[in-house]
Amino acid sequence: MLVEFELLQQAQRGDASAFNQVVTAYRRRILGTISRLIGRPEDVEDVAQEVFLRLYFSLDQLRTPEVFEPWLYRLTVNASYDYLRKSKRRPESRMSDLSEQQVMMADAAAGSKAQTEEGEKHRVRDTVQSLLSSVSEEDRILLTLKEVEGLSLRELEQIYHVSENSLKVRLFRARQRVLKNVKGVTRRRGNSASSDDGL
Amino acid sequence: MNNQWSSPRNGGNGESDAGANSHLDSLFHAYREACPDPAPSVNFMPEMWAKIEARQASSTIFSRMAKALVTAALGASVIMGLLSASYTPPPVSANDGSILQALANDHVRDLEPLQIERISELEQQ
Repeated sequence: MLVEFELLQQAQRGDASAFNQVVTAYRRRILGTISRLIGRPEDVEDVAQEVFLRLYFSLDQLRTPEVFEPWLYRLTVNASYDYLRKSKRRPESRMSDLSEQQVMMADAAAGSKAQTEEGEKHRVRDTVQSLLSSVSEEDRILLTLKEVEGLSLRELEQIYHVSENSLKVRLFRARQRVLKNVKGVTRRRGNSASSDDGL
Repeated sequence: MNNQWSSPRNGGNGESDAGANSHLDSLFHAYREACPDPAPSVNFMPEMWAKIEARQASSTIFSRMAKALVTAALGASVIMGLLSASYTPPPVSANDGSILQALANDHVRDLEPLQIERISELEQQ
């Protein structure tokens, strides 16, 4: 845990400075998780503030220190999910939605960007976000927490309050759907690459 | 940065499930590296506290309205209780509730007793 339980107890008693210290300790991690969950940098701070707002008004329910971090993650997941449900819009065309010709053009454009590391990162973000768009918002969040955030099944159990087995089943199914999309994109790119070679 | 994800043509069409799985793992890993934890802006804390205070203010207004409603409901029930305690019901009439009985009760004093003799006189005329 990044803070002492005593600090949390002070925050529970309404100590604003203690609450500020709790927020300062966790905000960067929460901002990172939210940015990977929602994929819209311009709204990350709003969602993170909503998470800490919910924490502020429910902190008095906290009894034991070991549940604090899973609980904070749960608040983060719920706020991100609420945001995704409200927005229900995709910011830009994803690779999975594009035609073969558009994929070739996007590849060409991305190829020049890939000269730099930032361009490479941009391609990774776009590719993964397009792959994750093939699953529901719930599965997208679950997969991101497991595969990108690196949370263990035990931690996910504490966040979702469901058994490890049902989590495994859900993760397997979500991963299979994403894999199918990976193969599709790979095949299309492979085809367009071989047609390039033939020219 | 791991570039394994960006050369899918190596896998080709015959990419096995295991290959696709490891490709996906490397993609997730690269995504984690491509999305570092962003630094919060300088306005993060002031905006957060402004939101907290706004939520507190709206919940205070709501609780005040709720308290006012409860007080009004209590006052109304006390008044109703006092009114019902001071109310004396009218004496129970002989009316059993039927229309015939009500009509009979209402007109019984207006009717004269039946004058058999006078009717017979009329018949004789």
